[in-house]
Amino acid sequence: MHLELRGITKRFGSLIANDHIDLEVQPGQVHSLLGENGAGKSTLMNVLFGLLTPDEGQIALNGEVVEIHNPGEAVRRGIGMVHQHFMLVPVFSVTENVVLGFEPTTSLNRVDYRQARDDIRRLSHKFNLDVDPDAIVENLPVGLQQRVEILKALSHDAELLILDEPTAVLTPQEIDSLMTIVRSLADSGKSVLFITHKLKEVKAIADKITVIRHGRVVGRAEPSASEGELASLMVGRDVQLTVEKTPTSLGEDVLRLRDVVVLDDRGLVAVNGVSLDVRAGEIVAIAGVQGNGQTELVEAIAGMRPVASGEITLGERDITNCTPRQALDAGLGHIPEDRQRDGLILSMSVADNLVLNTPRRAPFARRGTRNLAAVNTNADALVGRFDIRTTSTQAPVSSLSGGNQQKVIVARELSRPLELLLASQPTRGLDVGSIEYVHRQIVAYRNEGHAALIVSSELDEVLALGDRVAVMFEGQISGVVAPTTSRETIGLLMAGTRETSAD
Amino acid sequence: MPTEPTTKRSWRIHATTGSPVVVTVFALLLGLMVGAVVIITTTPAVLDAWRGLFHSWSAPAHALNVTFDNVGAAYRAMFTGSIINPPQLWHSLVTGRGWTNSLTPLSETLTYATPLVIVSIGVGIAFQTGLFNIGANGQAVIGGIAGAAMGSMVHMPSVFHLPLSLLAGVAGGALCGAIPGLLKAYTGAHEVIVTLMFNYVTYAFLLFAVLSTPFQQPGQQNDIGRTMDSSAQLAPLFGAHSGLRVSYGIFVAAAVVLFAWWLLNRSSIGFDFRVTGANPAAARASGINAKTVIVLVFLISGGLAGLAGVVQVASTTHYVDGGFLIGNAGIGFTAITVALLGRNRPVGIVWASLLFAALGVGGRNMQSLTGIPLDLATVIQSAIVLFVATPLLVKEIFRLRGTTQGSLQLATKGWGS
Amino acid sequence: MTLLATTPPHHAHPTDDRRVYAVGVFMALIGLFTLLVFGLGCVARASSSLTFNPISVVNAPWHVGALTLNARWTNVVVSLVILVGAGEVLLRRPRRGLMTRFGVVAVLFLVALLIWAARSPGPSPIDFINVTSILVGASATVMVLIFGALSGVMCERAGVVNIAIEGQFIAGAFVGSIFASITNDFFLAALAGLVAGALIGWLLAFFALRYQSDQIIVGVVLVTMLGSLSSYLNLQVFTPYPNLNLGNLAPNLPIPLLAKIPVLGPVFFNQPGFFYAMIILVGVVSFALFKTRYGLHVRAVGEHPRAAATVGINVVRVRYLNVTLGGAIAGLGGVAFMATKGQFQVGYTSGLGYIALAALIFGRWRPSGAVVASIIFGLSVYLSYDLVTYQVPVSIYVLQMFPYLITIAVVAGLIGRVRAPAADGLPYKRD
Repeated sequence: MHLELRGITKRFGSLIANDHIDLEVQPGQVHSLLGENGAGKSTLMNVLFGLLTPDEGQIALNGEVVEIHNPGEAVRRGIGMVHQHFMLVPVFSVTENVVLGFEPTTSLNRVDYRQARDDIRRLSHKFNLDVDPDAIVENLPVGLQQRVEILKALSHDAELLILDEPTAVLTPQEIDSLMTIVRSLADSGKSVLFITHKLKEVKAIADKITVIRHGRVVGRAEPSASEGELASLMVGRDVQLTVEKTPTSLGEDVLRLRDVVVLDDRGLVAVNGVSLDVRAGEIVAIAGVQGNGQTELVEAIAGMRPVASGEITLGERDITNCTPRQALDAGLGHIPEDRQRDGLILSMSVADNLVLNTPRRAPFARRGTRNLAAVNTNADALVGRFDIRTTSTQAPVSSLSGGNQQKVIVARELSRPLELLLASQPTRGLDVGSIEYVHRQIVAYRNEGHAALIVSSELDEVLALGDRVAVMFEGQISGVVAPTTSRETIGLLMAGTRETSAD
Repeated sequence: MPTEPTTKRSWRIHATTGSPVVVTVFALLLGLMVGAVVIITTTPAVLDAWRGLFHSWSAPAHALNVTFDNVGAAYRAMFTGSIINPPQLWHSLVTGRGWTNSLTPLSETLTYATPLVIVSIGVGIAFQTGLFNIGANGQAVIGGIAGAAMGSMVHMPSVFHLPLSLLAGVAGGALCGAIPGLLKAYTGAHEVIVTLMFNYVTYAFLLFAVLSTPFQQPGQQNDIGRTMDSSAQLAPLFGAHSGLRVSYGIFVAAAVVLFAWWLLNRSSIGFDFRVTGANPAAARASGINAKTVIVLVFLISGGLAGLAGVVQVASTTHYVDGGFLIGNAGIGFTAITVALLGRNRPVGIVWASLLFAALGVGGRNMQSLTGIPLDLATVIQSAIVLFVATPLLVKEIFRLRGTTQGSLQLATKGWGS
Repeated sequence: MTLLATTPPHHAHPTDDRRVYAVGVFMALIGLFTLLVFGLGCVARASSSLTFNPISVVNAPWHVGALTLNARWTNVVVSLVILVGAGEVLLRRPRRGLMTRFGVVAVLFLVALLIWAARSPGPSPIDFINVTSILVGASATVMVLIFGALSGVMCERAGVVNIAIEGQFIAGAFVGSIFASITNDFFLAALAGLVAGALIGWLLAFFALRYQSDQIIVGVVLVTMLGSLSSYLNLQVFTPYPNLNLGNLAPNLPIPLLAKIPVLGPVFFNQPGFFYAMIILVGVVSFALFKTRYGLHVRAVGEHPRAAATVGINVVRVRYLNVTLGGAIAGLGGVAFMATKGQFQVGYTSGLGYIALAALIFGRWRPSGAVVASIIFGLSVYLSYDLVTYQVPVSIYVLQMFPYLITIAVVAGLIGRVRAPAADGLPYKRD
């Protein structure tokens, strides 16, 4: 199928998720849509699949301009989608999942499972997607579950397949087999839209590459482009970030990671033997494409995820497999990746949120009773010092803008004595002013001789903040370099080219 | 930044934007309207009047008159039976006599409201932590049994006896609440199912207790337990001969309100409760141990329910029987609706308890004066809560504007384990 | 480099083995109790008779002699069976079928209890157990529980918690009584109850789906409201017009020939129409949920509504339909209950709706499981009343607690592992 998107624009309030995106996919072609998380890829796919209505622009299938209002319509027009979070019913059999919504029936509205099973066998034979039609989906490994998703799309006669981050959950072996499948689908004349943020895969599978960033198409490339080129396109350089840094003298090691191994939710190794030191007076920034173990590493340090092996020391204390409380008490300041989920109580006041981690510490509480006067004094002081824009310290945090919500967290963490500031994606989704502000605060904190570990997938941020830059790839540190290193070199490290350089 | 509206306009905005208070007020109105509709459609006199609608020109007016008369009489009886009867009051003021009769409605409302406040606060604390204690009634039953047992089977001076009886009630309720709490914390069993089932377990236990030898009223074959010693009873506030039942229990309730206010608004542990209820993920990240919180909340919630049970016994009947807190008389069930109406806040719960107590007590007066059954009060109560739990519906009916705070949501995960 | 970890697949629960062990120990304790109290607690020559002739001999042109058993040795044998079962669980550690085994043990325990209660010489004035009349008597309770549990299956399979089964019982019983009294036609009464229950179901769906109110709260409030409304109407309508609540018992409809089979005849083939309707309904619901296209959609909606929506299934419509149908089934159950009691009484369903909910959970959200659970729960509820006549020294209230305690153990994962439909009770928002 020939697909053409012309000037697709989708806004959510003031945020422009897709800004005049043009895209063309030829039949038999694997077209890769490359971009960071939050670049607008998923929005675009939801528009294409009828889950969202575009504000502007057109979709043309085989040259005919169409409007797609719901997923059912998309399916009928020959669009199949393999969702990042599989749309499979875990307790159903493969057959039940594949036929759902399009069941062949016999008398009395009965589902004709025999025919359905035969159809699935034929289809899986035709496309080499071997899977047992009677297996229960939740008992299948993730790779096979994905095959079921693909089968489901094919069984509805999809001519265009959208694969949304299909490798995010797969093991390398499963990824290899997926690549084979995708190639053979394209060879049989289907068009494939392959959404990912992983450079290696793009190079391995794509016929054409479109890179988007912040909702805009920032470049088109051939698969022959180097990974470094693609990486720098992807992470972009829209905002020139310059933060004044004064030279400081390095102190003791504050955070020591020794051969840390952490598993993800599915029990797969996400962090694979990371060793890293952060010293007083420096900012270590962890760069890398998202999903290479950064999230799990941060959660392990913060006591929110068990450490499978290895050792984490903060200051003098061993905080391996400690509770979040113990990590906080050991002097960890944590700016979490998902601030609304992990960092704030949206329905509570700014003042309460500013003491969320320390409600029992003097002067905020004495013998089990909170001292609200102290809480409010603290809030007044921090609102002034960190320039938090709010109508009142008693206003719920939900009434604040995203930037000011983040300032609440930053203020809370930096206002108590810390050993280490751990910040994950500290400026994601913020406006330029707030980004600058947060950066200045972090650097000021470091200038006072403190230690900070920053995780970001924004290369500019990493380079602007870091005194040293550690690049993570597939759960390991692929290199630790100076922030003056060229983007191309860092891009290579992000793509997995190992380098043992300055440390 | 939005400009400050003038005072006058801000009142209007307040009344039309559907703030929680406004929604509650409108829900009350809707509840009373539902009650009126029930009266109209089931009272024979009203129906007869409407049946003759086309018989004469004056019939419509007559029908409306009859309708208003009946509905008005019912609600008037509710008011005079639960708060104050103006002619009676005037009589007392003029002659200086009959104060007992004048004050009985208020006294009864307070008597009914006293245990209701206590148990509802327990339910409200659980709600604020995101937990649904549907078993408060069972916990109150156990508390009542424990308190009555302590009050009747052990003998000592009042200084010790009353506090010990109250404490026994707290302990009984807390024990009964601890089980669902522990099961939830350590096996993930859904607290709604466990507490729901526990209500029936405790009911069976009640029947067992009041029929078994040590606890049964001596010389009784029926399902009546022993009577509490007078040293363990909550004495009437104005003396045993005042004829007013309102007891020292209101001081217990007041203490509970103060405690709950401190717990939820001032204490560190209450802060943990509210944080857990509002955002479990952030609670975990900020170092709160969810298991401890769950068990603790159920201990407190169950303990308060138990206290309510013993206060109920010690201030009214002084013994428990097989019909203790059964069915619509179960304050533990009413407590769920009271807590919702009071938005789970101690002060709100006091108002909601007074309202529901007044509806219940007034309903009795309505029944004796107009013959309209007192169950209407419960119908009105549940209608009010249904509307309070569905603010969007109220806003649609009254065309209120403004951002919708979402509907009440508690169950964050499904059944089972 | 491989990212494959060496952790075991996450389907093997490490705690499973401990749980199986706990169940085995529990079963062994029940067996020991049965042996010591019910078995060896009887004197050696104690006997219990099992009789099989129904009380009204009109419908039983047959006669089965009484079976007199030695109470002591019979119960010893029963307890040994239980102990062997416990031993099997402890030694083989089976992963499946635990709940079935437990159900069998529960029934055996009840049997031993009965034999012990009726022993002679013993404290009981009655020295026989009329098996047929116990089964017939319990069948009414069981039937109502099955209706309720089926209603729950319909709603919860679609992802809506119906905690208002009790309320639908009440509505059905009330309306059913009026229609039965006026028309003297139980078919019309059933229809009316069906509609009344459906309305309550629709109301629950309306609040839960349109306003996304908490389903549990709405359910609880609906039960309270219907309880008090029925009590109100009872006084306001049935007292002045007693001929609206006359007290008709639904007539038994004996099935020719089959009704004459000893024991089985009276229990299964000489029942009111509601009983047969219940049996048909169990079949229909099972078939519809697990064989048809409609059922596939329902289960998908209850497990993963978003997945259902992406293939064009209208989640909200399916839920409305099922909750309304579920309400209708419970309403029918209410009429059936009324028809076994003769008329509407305030508060007489007390708790049956919640036992039905328990049966639904114990039965793992399947119609067949719900039937088995309803039989066990119904029997124990019925026996707890029936045993009064035997003057059993242990309190009958322990038996009344039984269904609830079992359900608590089940949701806590102590006996077997149940899994509700994944989206059960969760509100669904269209993007």
